[in-house]
Order: sequence, then C-alpha cells, then structure tokens
Amino acid sequence: MFKQILVPVAGTHADEETIRLACQLAKRDKGKVWVVSVVAIKRALPLDAEIQSEIKKAEEILDKVENIAEEEGGEVETDVLQAREVGPAIVDEAVERGVSLILMGISYKQRFGQFSLGNVVPYVLKNSPCPVILYQQSSVAK
Amino acid sequence: MPDNLPRKPGDRVFRPRRIKRFHLKRVLGVPALFSIGYGDVGSSIYYALGVVALVALGATPIALGVAGVIYIFNALTYAEGSAMIPEGGGSASYARHAFNNLIGFISGWVLMLSYIATMAISAYTIPPYLSYFWPVLNNASISTVVAMGIIGFLMMINVLGVKESTRLNIFFIFVDVVTQVTIVVLGIVLILRVNPSVLVQNMFGEGNWPSTQNLVMGIALAALCFTGVESVSQHGQETRHPEKRMPQAYVLMIVVVLILFAGISIVALSAMTPQMLGDPVNGWARDPVAGIAANLPSQMLQDIFKPLVAILAASILLTATNAGLLGISRLTYNLSTNHQLPAALGRVHPRFRTPYMAIIIFCAIAIFMLAPGFTNPDFFADLGALYVFGSLLCFAFAHAAIISLRIKKSDMTRPFKLRWNINFKGKDLPVTAILGLLSNIGIWIVVMVTQPFSRWAGLGWMAGGLVIYFVYFLYRRFRKEHSNDWEIKLDKK
Repeated sequence: MFKQILVPVAGTHADEETIRLACQLAKRDKGKVWVVSVVAIKRALPLDAEIQSEIKKAEEILDKVENIAEEEGGEVETDVLQAREVGPAIVDEAVERGVSLILMGISYKQRFGQFSLGNVVPYVLKNSPCPVILYQQSSVAK
Repeated sequence: MPDNLPRKPGDRVFRPRRIKRFHLKRVLGVPALFSIGYGDVGSSIYYALGVVALVALGATPIALGVAGVIYIFNALTYAEGSAMIPEGGGSASYARHAFNNLIGFISGWVLMLSYIATMAISAYTIPPYLSYFWPVLNNASISTVVAMGIIGFLMMINVLGVKESTRLNIFFIFVDVVTQVTIVVLGIVLILRVNPSVLVQNMFGEGNWPSTQNLVMGIALAALCFTGVESVSQHGQETRHPEKRMPQAYVLMIVVVLILFAGISIVALSAMTPQMLGDPVNGWARDPVAGIAANLPSQMLQDIFKPLVAILAASILLTATNAGLLGISRLTYNLSTNHQLPAALGRVHPRFRTPYMAIIIFCAIAIFMLAPGFTNPDFFADLGALYVFGSLLCFAFAHAAIISLRIKKSDMTRPFKLRWNINFKGKDLPVTAILGLLSNIGIWIVVMVTQPFSRWAGLGWMAGGLVIYFVYFLYRRFRKEHSNDWEIKLDKK
C-alpha cells in the first residue's frame, strides 16, 4: 500500500519514532523510505548559499536517521534540500518522487496557550498529493 | 588528536558529502518572475517620471520612448543570458563566464551602486506620496528623516530575517497595474481626447522643449524607469525551467512596461505642464503619479484616485526599496563566496541566518546618501544620475558578455538564442546586443561628461571597489603562500 514513503525530519524528538514507523510500514509493502531534511534559506541570501552550520546540522540529523533505519532493517535514502520555504519544498519533493505517503513526526507545541501545528504541517496537509500521516509521541513516553 | 600538535596532511579526515550537491527547490514560474521584475520597474514610474521631466521637460515621452527601445535591447540580452546561465548573479555572472573574475567583480560592484541608489531614491519618494494623508511630510527635512527611518526599518527586519508575504506583493502589483491602466484610459478619454492640443502645447510649446544636452540627459535618466531586468535574473536558480520561463517573463515585462509607461507619460503631460511635472518643490516631480490623480478633471475621480495612488505608491516603493536591499545582500554574498570581496562581508548571522554585515553596511551607505535631502530637494535627480551611472555600465557589461560568449563559447547551449544576428568571422553576433552595448556606453559617457556628481561619486565608488578587490586579492595570495596547511578542494559537481 505504501511503496514510497517520504519522511521530512527536522531534528526533533519525534524523528526517531517516525523513522521506525516509516521503516515498519515500508518493510510490510517492500517499499522504500526517503528522508529529507530541508534547509530554509532566507531571501537575503541566494538559494544556493552554503550555510555550513545548517548543512552540518542537516547531515547530523540524517546520520542519526540512517543509524535508526539500519537498526530497523529498512531501506532508506536521505537527502538535503535547500528551499525558501519548508512546506512547499516537501510537497514538491513528494510530487517529484511520486510518493504514496508523507509521514511527519510532530511534537506537542503551544502558541498563545493553544495547541499549534506550526506553518509547515498545515501547508503539507492542505497541498499534499498523497495521504499524510502525522505521528506524535505521547507526552508520557517523553 | 591534541590541538597543540602540528597537523600533518594525513591527519585530515576526508568525509565525502552525503550527496554530491544538495537539491535546490525551484518554484518560480512566469507570474512570480513577472511580479518580481514588475515590482522593480513598476515602482520606478512613481519617481522617474518626475526626475526625467525635471530635465527633459516636454520631451519626457520622447526620452522615455528612446529609453524604452534601449530597455528592449537590455531585456533581450538578459533573456539569452539568464536562459544560458541560470544562476543568481545577473550581469556579474555573465561577465565572469565571458571574461574573468575581475570583470565580473567590476560589473557586480557597479550593480551594487545601482541597488544602493535605488534603495535611497525609492525610500525618498515614499513620504511625498504619503503626504496626502500627512501634509507635514512635504517638509524636506521631515521627509528625509522618514526615508532614512524606512531604510533603517527594512535593515532591521532583513537582519532578523522576517519573511515578506509573496501573496501580498503580487496583490499590490496586480492592483497597481490595474490602477495605472485605469489612469491611462481615464486620462486619454477625459483629458487628451477632449483637448489634444494641450499635449502638443505641453510638449512642443515655447519654453517646453529642452536643449539637446538636456534631452540626451533626459534619455539617460529615463533609464531609471526601466529597471527590473537584473532583479529577474537574480532569481534564475529558483525558477522552474529557467531556460523557458525567464525569456517569457522578460518578453511579458517588455510589453506591459512599454505600453503602461508610454500611456502614463502622455497622460501626465496632458494633465499638467512639464514645469509643474518637473518641479520638486512646488510641483509634482517627487510624486508625479499623484500629480496626475490630482489633475483628473472630475472631483469624484480625484477623491478616488488620490488616496489610492498614495497607498499603492507607498506600498510598491516600499517593496522596491526592500528588493534593492535583498538584491545587494545576495550580490554581496555571491561576490564574497567567489572570493571577489572579503569573506567578512558575506558573514551569515549564526542565529538569524542572514548576511547581516552586508545588510547593515549597505543600508548605512544608503542612509548616508540621503543626507543631502535635508537641504537640497533637487538632489534626488543626482541620485537618479548615480543610479544611471551604475546601471548603464552594468547593462553594457551584460551586452559585452553575451557578445563575447557568442565568440568564445559558440557551442554553449542557448535555450533562448537571440535572432537578428550578423555573421562575424563565422560567429553569429546578436544585433540587439551590439546596439544595446553602443547605446548604453554612449549614454554612460554623456552622463559622465555632463553630471559632475555622478561622475565623481561613481568613479570614486569604482576606485574604492578596485582597491578592496586588489587588497583582498593580495591578502589571500600572501596567506596562501605562507600557510602550512594544504587543502583538498572539493569538486562542487
């Protein structure tokens, strides 16, 4: 059912469990997982600006992801994307790769006392070309 | 390995990057590119019309027409260049590919002067339009302070990296185009059609036709109106299928801009005398489109268009000021990354992830440029001449680069190849680029000879840039020769 799964990661606590879940789902259908870390570039910089600290951070996140995937025995490919905005970059990547599922890990955040999904998740939910699963760890597990 | 022991080459650990090159998400299409370019050029009519009329008087539409033809040459050259070399950097990039690093730097450096002048002049023109709501802004000192404050505000938000809303920008540009079209139609129907002799009198009547020198200077200043080509080219790396989309955006800009500007200038001279249009103190030189709205022959239309023009002008000019700031910020980063400027200028803030040094320094220069506004309201014509000094040279480099690439790299892929070529020693050279090169250089020489402020300020800017370039070049060479380190150069490809 889910042959190609796209998992955007951002270095949050939710990444580990999200990757494990993605590997389990992909293994069941003998599918593949693409993990992307998106580096958002501000408009004051050219799009191909190499901000070493951000790239290093993205590489470290993806290193951890590959280790987790190895533990789960999943087939994972990782990629660093640079874009102006994260949400459109994820949707665009999903369209380009023709994925059958986007799996995103979220953490519980509040803004002005209300639960907030931020800007990226609502954009992906609204514009995604395929099903989207949001995975949130329970606060007890944390 | 302890830090105090000297490193040997074998101590370096080479870790190849995960992927050969990270992927850039290209998202821009023709509408977005058009809005970026039009946001730049569409704003210039709000001040350039007055600057040109200050010098060219009744010949303003003629000056704009001639500058419009040169604009076509410029836009076509950039269409070929951006399709062929779809990286940010514009003429600096074309010049680097066609010639060498030094020429690329000079082109980029004069472009930076244009960006700074654009920022200053756009910010300086906002208070006169807003004086519809707050008449105190007509005071030269107060409006200069406000203009400086606008640049300071934009400096702050760009250092912090606050996002601008693309949708809002596109909305304002759409409304702006519709408003300008409406003003043109109303002006033609209600003013020009009723009494066509007014236009003839205002253009050719006694005292309304400029001297030859002023006419040529008016054509040079009219180049102020036709910006936007560099802004579009700077977004090459973000454009989907740039080889197709960028030429399409350029062609669309040519059509819309020429029609609108021709119409606006004719309506302006139908609605008021050239002396009123070009007077920066008692007339409408600093807010010419507001002048057109104020002279519409119906009180109801005036009541609608005067506040509308004030709001639109302020928003479009704010966008243009910000666009100038973003342009200079990206260009500085490009130049410093290519070792054409000191790396310190391209330093990125660790928290805000913005090139804060470049933003702060060049905003400070733009604010400094506004200082004469306290005592001399005419000085914005000097700012316009300074902009023209930089932009004409920059366009000339672009034309020269395209011609040079036709000769040196004739087998390079050209998704958009200019037609109307002449054959020179077996190479096809585009006629529009040759004409563009000659006309831009010719007008630049006129500006250099007739405008002392832009001559000395422009040459001083270039001299300063060359000093920075060569000092940095020698510093890097000295460091390399005396360094114990050896480095592996990673192939970006």
